[in-house]
Amino acid sequence: MTKIDPEIRIPDPIELDRLEEERLRTAAGLLPVHAEGGEYAGFDTVGIPDRPPQTEREREVYTLEEGEMLVNMGPQHPSTHGVMRLVVKVRGEIVVDVDPVLGYLHRGIEKLCENATYTTVLTYVDPMDYLSTMHNEHAPAIAFEKLYGIKAPPRAEYIRALVVELNRVFSHGLMMGFLALDIGGLTPILYSFINRDEVVDMLSAISGQRMLFNFFRVGGVNFDTNDEFLSRLGTWRSHVLDNLDMNERMITQNEIFRGRTVNMGRLSGADAISLGVTGPNLRASGVAFDVRKAHPYSIYHELEFDVITQEGGDSYARYIQRIAEIKQSIHLIDQIIDRMPHGPVQAQVPGIIRPKPGRAYGAVESPRGLYSVYAISDGGPNPYRFRMRDPSFISLQAIPKLMPGRLVADTMAVMASFDPVMGGVDK
Amino acid sequence: MGHVRRPWPAAHALGRGRPLSAPAPALAGALIRLVQERIGPDLRDLWTDEDTVEFTIDGARAVDVLTTLRDDPDLDFFMLADAAAVDYGVDAHFEVVYHLYSAKHPAAWLRVRARVDRAKPVLPSITSLWEGAMFHEREMYDMMGIVFEGNRDLRRIYMSPDYRSFPQRRDFVLPDDAADSPAHGVNPLERPETWDLTRFNTAPAITFPPSEDRADAPAEGVEGGETAADKSRPR
Repeated sequence: MTKIDPEIRIPDPIELDRLEEERLRTAAGLLPVHAEGGEYAGFDTVGIPDRPPQTEREREVYTLEEGEMLVNMGPQHPSTHGVMRLVVKVRGEIVVDVDPVLGYLHRGIEKLCENATYTTVLTYVDPMDYLSTMHNEHAPAIAFEKLYGIKAPPRAEYIRALVVELNRVFSHGLMMGFLALDIGGLTPILYSFINRDEVVDMLSAISGQRMLFNFFRVGGVNFDTNDEFLSRLGTWRSHVLDNLDMNERMITQNEIFRGRTVNMGRLSGADAISLGVTGPNLRASGVAFDVRKAHPYSIYHELEFDVITQEGGDSYARYIQRIAEIKQSIHLIDQIIDRMPHGPVQAQVPGIIRPKPGRAYGAVESPRGLYSVYAISDGGPNPYRFRMRDPSFISLQAIPKLMPGRLVADTMAVMASFDPVMGGVDK
Repeated sequence: MGHVRRPWPAAHALGRGRPLSAPAPALAGALIRLVQERIGPDLRDLWTDEDTVEFTIDGARAVDVLTTLRDDPDLDFFMLADAAAVDYGVDAHFEVVYHLYSAKHPAAWLRVRARVDRAKPVLPSITSLWEGAMFHEREMYDMMGIVFEGNRDLRRIYMSPDYRSFPQRRDFVLPDDAADSPAHGVNPLERPETWDLTRFNTAPAITFPPSEDRADAPAEGVEGGETAADKSRPR
């Protein structure tokens, strides 16, 4: 084996290319590309804002030391789960700092909702977090019912809990596939989508819509269960655990998967609370906080379940936590179907409601964490202020905290384990 | 689908006005007494409904009050559930609303409403208490123009860095607001000949801190949202 003499500098092929290009340009009588007035003038600072930094933190991220450079991940990148941009400061292949740049999908849904009637608001929140549409509608429904002073009939509450748990099952199932996809395995996502389509078809049978269900109403739900929904539910229930088991066996014991998730992105419970991380990501760090148990809404005080937690706090624990929660949701669905009462599914509520002036807060446990709505009424037909707290928006703050010192390729794997949805992040 | 809707029951038959969930009243009562005892003179307008305890404080005292709520072993509000800003109108005030949760008082969300002067919307930052308040505060700055002192990354988060308005303020008019347009109920976006775009050219820049203090302030004589250094920004 030959030893490389450290004194001999091996030229970088990219640098050789550049030198060769400069030589050819000079021979042809052209300006060097990076010179003032050359065609690439200014391009050696790609990614650095063309203005003075506005904050201390921005100065820190965008000031480069010797050997560091900025790399843009996104906005159009399959692993950013939507339209998001991560400015990654790297030294070689090691991440030094991360700055998430958001807003590429910002639609101003809060402002739209403040200009819509209470019933219409429930349709506007659908495309926010498009993988947990039922949860998106649940929180405003709770808040508006508090404002208006009504209560949904018991059967409506049971149907709500049923569709919400079904939604959680397919959202968590997709996360398993996306995590494997970002690590490099294509097959699990295909199986995840097969399983997800079964649930989505079921939910479209009950709500009439395939993805943006628009199923909840102030004072109940839009439709009662029907034969198609129930038969699909029965078929799905008969094999869902087998399907889950198959997908799980394909991923969990895979050596590459374990190598890229175990000990990766380890978040302690105290840090997670401080960063506002909620939901499965928080429970994977060992904190037993679940809104369904902590502050029960709907019918969750009648159901039997425990808050599942993991100890690891790494990507692997977050993945295992999702699988445990899918099984728990199926257990909850069994209980809900057993106990579902007969009766109406909608209270008598006019199409345009004018609640008395007041304030209400409704929070639900969405697949990504604490999703809450704060609504203020001034007595008019539309909410005076409509505020949504989206869990993936807040959880995203963990990425700059976890990534420094890790490899660039692991940024995607850790981000996928947090399961953010950019529709919710950007509102 | 063969769906038959059952006749609707009257709302009063479904318990209009009945609480949604039934918290133990003793717990909420204990929380109210504790809060009154520990926060004392800062606390105003204590109010409660079926699952919320709320009170108003002065914006300048936000960090002290929230530190007490978080660190007092009897209160132990360890989780910041939400932080949002509300604009109560041009001639009124802003409000920053914090929702907190404590495992010791699970029956109630605690809502702390911090009042902020509209003419000088400055509030101490709570990022020292919860790091996760960073994105909440950046969003409030972006959408409402409330400045949080002590926040070391107070940039716009959704809008571009050279954007100059605060879209969630009540005096921000939506461009496609039908009632406001000459199209009279027809969506003006579908009728470009009716677009009145002069207000976008003549609108004064709303910035806080005042634009002359900012490094990215619009240059004299530059119109239409361009900043002094606004070349083809690579951002």
